[in-house]
Amino acid sequence: MKNKIAHAPTITTILLLVAMLCLAARGYPQRSLGAFELDETELYAMTKQVSQFFSRFNNEEDQFGKKYHPQNPEFRNPEKRRIILPLLFDNENKRTSGTLKDFFVEDLVGKGKGNYLEFLGGRWYSEVAATFLHQGREVNIILFLMIEKENLGSKWVLTNVYYPEFNKLFPKGELAEREKHFLHPMSHELDFMNIYKAFNHAQVIDFYASKEFQPDYLTLFFAEIKAGRMKFKSVDHLKFHIFQIRDWYFEVSYLNRKGTNTGWLITNLVYMTDKEKPAFIKLYEPWLRLDQH
Amino acid sequence: MKHIIIIIIAALALTTSVKAQDELSPERKQAIDSLALEKVRDLSKYVSIIGNKNTPWSEANRVIDRAEELFMAGAEIGVSSLARTDIFYYKVRTYFERLMRLNYDRVEIEWYKIEYVSDLQRQPDGTYVGVITIFQRFSGYDQEGGLVYQDTTKKDITVYVKRKETQIGGRMIGFWDVLLGDIRVKETSS
Repeated sequence: MKNKIAHAPTITTILLLVAMLCLAARGYPQRSLGAFELDETELYAMTKQVSQFFSRFNNEEDQFGKKYHPQNPEFRNPEKRRIILPLLFDNENKRTSGTLKDFFVEDLVGKGKGNYLEFLGGRWYSEVAATFLHQGREVNIILFLMIEKENLGSKWVLTNVYYPEFNKLFPKGELAEREKHFLHPMSHELDFMNIYKAFNHAQVIDFYASKEFQPDYLTLFFAEIKAGRMKFKSVDHLKFHIFQIRDWYFEVSYLNRKGTNTGWLITNLVYMTDKEKPAFIKLYEPWLRLDQH
Repeated sequence: MKHIIIIIIAALALTTSVKAQDELSPERKQAIDSLALEKVRDLSKYVSIIGNKNTPWSEANRVIDRAEELFMAGAEIGVSSLARTDIFYYKVRTYFERLMRLNYDRVEIEWYKIEYVSDLQRQPDGTYVGVITIFQRFSGYDQEGGLVYQDTTKKDITVYVKRKETQIGGRMIGFWDVLLGDIRVKETSS
């Protein structure tokens, strides 16, 4: 993060920014349809797709949503990005409307690699809040997905789930308690005649596993689905976690409201060094080794 | 027949070696976007006709058949509103039939001029997939001409684009086949 913000937008600039996206609507003036005057200003300003969020973020399209040719000087133009990027923040949210945003923008328009969003660039994840019926009871489960390359293209794949009931199955447990549960190192000489003790206490069976053992919640989830105990009901909410930009993490959510600050916008922003990221990314890619990335 | 002619014209305009399909140049992407937008505009036109209470029943059914031809088999339409976030899923034909039978005396379906076309991404089998967003204003009136329901919906329409070949006069001609897929219909606050 830079210490100084040489080009922090002034109020005038910000007003110009909003005007810029709204200009699109002026390019296509209000149309009269029967009794209605259809004002398209808000629809042009809205970041309508995640794809458009990426394009606006990188400044790869004009205010009408038309793609720039990569040879066009406007394509990924840093000065234009300086204007567009603040418009991609939820300006009704204290988490994203503060000065941190200015540092973020300054980092993005400076020189360097990794400051553009790439669809196939990895390290961006989808969080789907969904409702399932678990053994007949309605429950909320969070699904995590990522884009994975395969054959000629790519696809979204499930990477993890969060369901408190699964987590409760594997409490960390007090060390003193854990130390009571083990198979002594000469058990093999007794043909493991004592192993029944491990299975007598179902709640702590995992204490008998290696210290390397990590419960795999996605496998548990699949097992419940396959056994017919878990049934999908609905998708309730969606957001994206983006770790692609060097030293930053942010969330993107869909804001369905009136005005020109709508659609897919940044709803949370955190300064996070690339060294810190793997510990967080493990939630989305549980198999990730901390020395990777 | 009309569709085949359109496809062949598009093919001649776009034709290059099959190899070129792996990476879409910005120019080719633009040409494919135009083909996809044509399909979406056809769909918009059909929706307006089907929803219009003055369209005779037999004509509406014929248009439903035409509209259905725009879609991949099995495509669905998922609908939610501001009041009800649950998504209701309809098969394409069912959706159109419901639209035809809506219980209003007069219906106005207007399309906003704005269209947004996403980047095309390839799925594992090589087919390109994109999403086109359009906006619709729906108004339903009662017998006295009073407005009883109105909404603006955002329609995110999946578009599948596949390179195909056909033999014409002994020559293999490549063309881009565009089909519509699932549609997400979401009421907006606009």
